[in-house]
Amino acid sequence: MLDYVIIGGGVVGTLIARELSKYEVSILLLEKENDIGNHATLANSAIIHSGHDPKPGSLKAQLCVRGNTMYETLAKELKIPLIFSGAFVVARDQEEVDTLDLLYQRALHNGVKEVALLDADEAQNREGNLADGVLKVLDLPTTKVTYPWEVAIAALENALLNGAQFKTNAKVTKISPVNDHFIVEINQQEEIEARYVINAAGVYADELASFVEDDLPYRITPRRGEYFVLDKKVKGFVERVLYPVPSDKGKGVLVVPQVHGNILLGPTSEFQDAKENRDNHSDHLNWIRRDSEKLAKNIPFDQIIRTFSGLRATSTYHDFYIQPAKKHPQFIHVAGIDSPGLTAAPAIAEYVVKTLLNRDQRLPKKTDFNPNRVKKKPFYESHFEEKLQLFKEDHRHGHIVCKCERVTEAEVVAAIHSPVASPTIKGIKKRVRAGSGLCQGGYCENTIVKIIARELNIPISEVDYYEKETPILWKETKVKR
Amino acid sequence: MERNEGETMNVDIVVIGGGASGLAAALSAKDETNSVIVLEREHVLGGILNQCIHNGFGLHVFREELTGPEYASRFIEKFHAENIDYKLDTTVLSINKPDDCFIVEAYNNEDGALTIHAKAVILSSGCYERTRGQIKLPGARVAGIMPAGSAQRYLNIDGYLAGKDVFILGSGDIGLIMARRMTLEGAKVHGVAELMPYSNGLTRNIVQCLHDFDIPLYLSHTVTDIKGTKRLEEITIQEVDENYQPIAGTEKKFSVDTLLLSVGLVPDTMVFESMDLTLSPITKGAIVDHTYQSNIPGIFACGNALHVHDLVDWVTIESEKAGASAKRYVAGEIKEERNNLTIEPREGIRYTVPQSIDMNNFKEPVTVMFRVTNKYDVGTFTVKQGDTIIQQKKARFIAPAEMESLMIKPEQLIDQTTPITIELEVK
Ligand SMILES: Cc1cc2nc3c(=O)[nH]c(=O)nc-3n(C[C@H](O)[C@H](O)[C@H](O)COP(=O)(O)OP(=O)(O)OC[C@H]3O[C@@H](n4cnc5c(N)ncnc54)[C@H](O)[C@@H]3O)c2cc1C
Ligand SMILES: Cc1cc2nc3c(=O)[nH]c(=O)nc-3n(C[C@H](O)[C@H](O)[C@H](O)COP(=O)(O)OP(=O)(O)OC[C@H]3O[C@@H](n4cnc5c(N)ncnc54)[C@H](O)[C@@H]3O)c2cc1C
Repeated sequence: MLDYVIIGGGVVGTLIARELSKYEVSILLLEKENDIGNHATLANSAIIHSGHDPKPGSLKAQLCVRGNTMYETLAKELKIPLIFSGAFVVARDQEEVDTLDLLYQRALHNGVKEVALLDADEAQNREGNLADGVLKVLDLPTTKVTYPWEVAIAALENALLNGAQFKTNAKVTKISPVNDHFIVEINQQEEIEARYVINAAGVYADELASFVEDDLPYRITPRRGEYFVLDKKVKGFVERVLYPVPSDKGKGVLVVPQVHGNILLGPTSEFQDAKENRDNHSDHLNWIRRDSEKLAKNIPFDQIIRTFSGLRATSTYHDFYIQPAKKHPQFIHVAGIDSPGLTAAPAIAEYVVKTLLNRDQRLPKKTDFNPNRVKKKPFYESHFEEKLQLFKEDHRHGHIVCKCERVTEAEVVAAIHSPVASPTIKGIKKRVRAGSGLCQGGYCENTIVKIIARELNIPISEVDYYEKETPILWKETKVKR
Repeated sequence: MERNEGETMNVDIVVIGGGASGLAAALSAKDETNSVIVLEREHVLGGILNQCIHNGFGLHVFREELTGPEYASRFIEKFHAENIDYKLDTTVLSINKPDDCFIVEAYNNEDGALTIHAKAVILSSGCYERTRGQIKLPGARVAGIMPAGSAQRYLNIDGYLAGKDVFILGSGDIGLIMARRMTLEGAKVHGVAELMPYSNGLTRNIVQCLHDFDIPLYLSHTVTDIKGTKRLEEITIQEVDENYQPIAGTEKKFSVDTLLLSVGLVPDTMVFESMDLTLSPITKGAIVDHTYQSNIPGIFACGNALHVHDLVDWVTIESEKAGASAKRYVAGEIKEERNNLTIEPREGIRYTVPQSIDMNNFKEPVTVMFRVTNKYDVGTFTVKQGDTIIQQKKARFIAPAEMESLMIKPEQLIDQTTPITIELEVK
């Protein structure tokens, strides 16, 4: 019997796994995909919000502000990229200026540090490409930007280091409460027993929760957000995250500098029924163009290299729903984690473990918990001398696989054999950035397919693009021998 | 082998890329007095030609029809006969000029980091293909969508076919060639859609690759939806109006597992990220004068890294000139100080290469290559300085896909300062 089963390998599930691994308990994280961090954690704005936006008194406000302050330490321990970009909320007419003043009060109320209102000149001085016609700006220096899926990968790697376990390709298909524990069914085949179940399944949280609770106080109504990605050549176009004044439709389309120099334009906001559909729509992409020009001028649209979209797990409860189930309190709902879920994730993990699970402090603490993840400095970040050293350690550092992002064969091989690995084209891209650049894998994909095939000893026609059974090639044309 | 030392070398001319362009440039750059090295990231020389196993190469340079690998091997043999230095499996990552020479940083499995000090650099690194993201293709993000050139490489070099039911977006040459190639390998190619009202490929390729195989070409059409859960299952194409917006009610659906994109090539100038190389917003390659020298003295560009070519013959001819210029530059025969007279595209002309003539070094006739903006049966190219016509040339079957050229001679110019313009007149 396991102590804890965590369902869902997004940033929330993985950080809960890490938090729990500070105690002498057995932990198993289950993820239905062939990789962790493939859903909301893969497709979002990557912003560590300051906490100016959530309604005062809500769990969102509390955990967002707390999460924001936790990221600095988290980034050091887990070696995840974090930029201290700051942000502007931009007001363009009198009505928006009025809302901005309220937002300023709200930020203070929520406990956001260093907030200030700036006039147009001051704002223009600090952010050269700010759109003309801006009247007033809310300055949020504590806003940061991270690399979301690396947060999840790093958190899980660290949890594993401290004794947790995980399984991918493991979809929870049924949960049956029995006496003092649960039987968790995986892929309609295997059964696992656990004393506690933590439901961090993103948009599927309501479906899983229905196995243990009849009248759920929430439903997940997925809300899609679409984006453009600009090439990292545009680095420096804006220093800060630019937000419009929020409306009842949400935060609106933003301009977001990313940790590697790219810029995101988006997201849109569309409710939909399907929990999987992550298509892009031409109309929606056109809205992004139009709306982003209200925030910044001279946007280099010719540097667009990619579009994508993600689904927010917005719930009818209108706040994060983090509570024990009523009839089966050993089942913990961690549901409705839409924005600012990435920001709040470390605080959510802390809340779940410290406030809910270990309220009476009876969980035995590990004496040898190691908070630090070991991570090699990537080749592209290394100085010349360090590169020579890398080459000395492994001569495959001399083979540049991806020229756009400067990734070496040694790094690809290391990613294939890493503790939280996913040897697909996308899995490699998520870990070493090969294929994230200007040519979008046009050149390196061919080499990476061959490296994966070689390392796994499979034909290249069996190498998957992303999910299980998504080979990029159909068949070999010539029969050998 | 000792593998821990980063190696440093001094060379007169570094050539980045060993494709058609790099080979021709190196051959004409090398003489007894200088040293030249070619750096190529692949395991073989020849570049993109290696995967172009169809014929149609060399009609101008050799007056015979060769396949890509045959064309390449003619140059590779000469290259070896001249004993020019080269390194394979070697990727150039950056170029800088802290002092008076260029520092080229390259990597391979044997030397590790290679630091080369050079007097001149020839950029002949070819181009890359535009991808789904750059054209903002809507719909599901599934497996089975790939640039046509990538599919060509998987098929012709690696021996793997990308899919069995194929649609092709974009009528660039690679897409056309792949329509035929995949059909011959047993795939069914359901059609080719092109956004423009005319094809972007060479006429001969439309005939030989589509018509001969009954593959429909949908002009003024684009892909407006992509469906599938894991692998591509269905695409929708729609006719577009004169503003390239889809027209409702014209949807056609195709059940396919593969969508190849042949939607344009972009010159690869990535290694110059850290230098202020001036790029043309139209060609996306360097802006050069008639010696193929960029705004940075000592940096020359040619082949697909300069502007995208559809015929290798023009690549060869252009690159020989760039190589010869680099040789003269290193020998001190090109005057440092430049006096550029610009060549400006006007009505009907999209771009020209070169974009200027350096009057301080203008002695021989200069070939100007250019592309038009639209398709016409007949027309006249007029070269002017101000209002003075200095040359006219009649042409037939004018199309954006076919590169045009004309020659400007020193004695034709009326003065040294009035910009040269080229325009297209049609009836
Ligand atoms: C467009 C968009 C923009 C956003 N921008 C920001 C932002 O800038 N800042 C911010 O703080 N937040 C942002 N968010 C919110 C943030 O991304 C999410 O709150 C966060 O990623 C949620 O993480 P998660 O782990 O709960 O969900 P997910 O990452 O979706 O993880 C849930 C996991 O559960 C798995 N799963 C589901 N069902 C099962 C099952 N039956 N068995 C096993 N596994 C299962 C899924 O496969 C998935 O991997 C944004 C979200 C979106 C969509
Ligand atoms: C599919 C296709 C079909 C064609 N069909 C025809 C035809 O029928 N007839 C015809 O005449 N022409 C045809 N062409 C055009 C012609 O073949 C090409 O324009 C020509 O071969 C390009 O030569 P290049 O040297 O400029 O580029 P490439 O051949 O691409 O060479 C560039 C080289 O640079 C290397 N390189 C790039 N970056 C680096 C770096 N950083 N470090 C080291 N090395 C690097 C690359 O590996 C490559 O080998 C076709 C082209 C294509 C793509």
